[in-house]
Amino acid sequence: MKNFKIKKSSVRWVVALKEEAQVILDHFELKVVNEKTIYPIYKNKQETHWLIISGIGQSNAAASTAYLYLYSEASTYTSWINVGIAGSDKGNYGDLYLVDKISTYNRKKSTFPSTMPKTYLPKMHLFTSDIPISNYSTHELIDMEGSAFFDIASKLTSKELICLMKVISDDPYNDIKNITKKKISKLIKENLSKIIDVISYYERLSEEESQIAEKPKLFYKIKSTWHFSVTQSHRLETLLRRVESFCNKNDIEEKIKGCETSNSVINVLNSKIKNNLVNWSKF
Amino acid sequence: MIETIYVEDAIKNHPRTKFILKKFKKSRIIAINKYVEIFNKRNQNFRIQKANPNLILAHKKDSFVLPTPEGFGIGSSKNFYFSHMYNCIYDCRYCFLQGMYSSAYYVIFVNFEDFEIALKKTIENNLSSKLTFFSGYDCDSLAFENVTGFAKHILSFFKKHPQFEIEFRTKSIQKEPFLSTKPMRNVILAYSLMPELMSSSLDNKAPSISKRIRVISELASRGWKIGLRFDPLIHGKNWKKLYQELLDNIYNNISLDSLHSVSFGSLRFPKRMFKDIFKLYPNEPLFTGPLSHKNKMISYDIEIEEEMTSFCKNLSLKYVNEDQIFKCSI
Repeated sequence: MKNFKIKKSSVRWVVALKEEAQVILDHFELKVVNEKTIYPIYKNKQETHWLIISGIGQSNAAASTAYLYLYSEASTYTSWINVGIAGSDKGNYGDLYLVDKISTYNRKKSTFPSTMPKTYLPKMHLFTSDIPISNYSTHELIDMEGSAFFDIASKLTSKELICLMKVISDDPYNDIKNITKKKISKLIKENLSKIIDVISYYERLSEEESQIAEKPKLFYKIKSTWHFSVTQSHRLETLLRRVESFCNKNDIEEKIKGCETSNSVINVLNSKIKNNLVNWSKF
Repeated sequence: MIETIYVEDAIKNHPRTKFILKKFKKSRIIAINKYVEIFNKRNQNFRIQKANPNLILAHKKDSFVLPTPEGFGIGSSKNFYFSHMYNCIYDCRYCFLQGMYSSAYYVIFVNFEDFEIALKKTIENNLSSKLTFFSGYDCDSLAFENVTGFAKHILSFFKKHPQFEIEFRTKSIQKEPFLSTKPMRNVILAYSLMPELMSSSLDNKAPSISKRIRVISELASRGWKIGLRFDPLIHGKNWKKLYQELLDNIYNNISLDSLHSVSFGSLRFPKRMFKDIFKLYPNEPLFTGPLSHKNKMISYDIEIEEEMTSFCKNLSLKYVNEDQIFKCSI
């Protein structure tokens, strides 16, 4: 029988700088993986949180997101998070903002991340630039990675499982040239509790999605007893999901134990469905 | 509460856009070029969106009035439908909208006037036919009326064209604009109904059956023509008893003179759509019932369908004439 390892929630972080990541690494107890990797990768003991340091710029953000996906074997119900600093003259220095629209120089069309619902956190549009910008007037938030991160992450998971958060680190009164490693760490640290709040929503979402996607309890056991073709496996999975909703595991096993072929297993499950009278007073 | 409203640039100054935005003063407004930038994109999760749907205000460019699929109708020789909105504020587990779009956000097309132009053209092209129009095939036609005002708008068109029928199909208990308008002979207010026990499990976020019946009764007593839509018929333990109670309750609580038509429809999903909906809600009780795969459709066995339809039809024949009863077979 296949050893099916269920990880409850699944979160992947893409962060440009070590200084931005340090507070997160500490809080979630992420340790560097014991292998040589193209980008530095960290994970927690349970392997539910993974973080990659992408470096600055869109190419790095895109490449590291794809790399982390492959390296950490992320699933379609993994939540993807990008946290970092950004410039702005529209918000308050040091405050955390969620991103709900992203644009770039190179592309006519904007993209639209969905944001965590019912949040007290303010939202802003993000402009991702390939070079540092100190003229803030035409944009709300300015960074150098967000757009590329979102483009790649939205190919790997549902858009509702992606989140971009930015802390304002420079504005007309706090020159971009004066940003130091220490200042960056301090800015993220001061917003850690807000970041954790947001993450708990994405952890829950990922967990719920993983539970829905989870194979029925008996699936692997039955597959190891009889031979199922690919089409039959899909059929078996669907039937088991339906039957398990009204019939317990032992009853199902009892019903199919005399079956000689996979076809007869499917026939038995089909007949359970066919004879099921849904008792609507139970729901 | 709608948290975010996406507004197409082209209609940001449209009076109807402003009218709708006034109702959502706390929502965040985001400008977009085209609604398809947000709606029905790949890798969207319908179920997650449905928990907190946002709203999109858009301009519809074409396909305003379309012929209904074969088997959908209430006696006219030609049937057409139009939808000023995509998606629904309710979350009914058998609804085809769950498998139709990957997005659960509501799209409202604010250019109502273009629907009128298309309706006029359709009428001109079919002058010799008896026509019925169905409002809200891709949404509930009245559930969002307090926001859109579409029914009120389109009623004035059909006031000028009394020879053509319009049906508003709904589960809502929205009484306006029908309380403040004189009843019109060519307007059918059609209510989707099923036994309360089933509805309370399947018609998520929709008004209870008893509330719907109260509204039907009130609007019928004011002279509006009523359609009863038992579509889909749902199978399960004691289904005969449950449907008998429902039908008796309705027929005894509304003026039978007000009844325009009664229709029965079977629970059916195209195979692909079922696959998508099942993936979204694999533990849904509805899917534990005796549904099977036949001719690219997932449905109850034909014997079940026929038994349910004839049972309900026979009960209804005590109250209505046979020519008022239709079977919806799509």
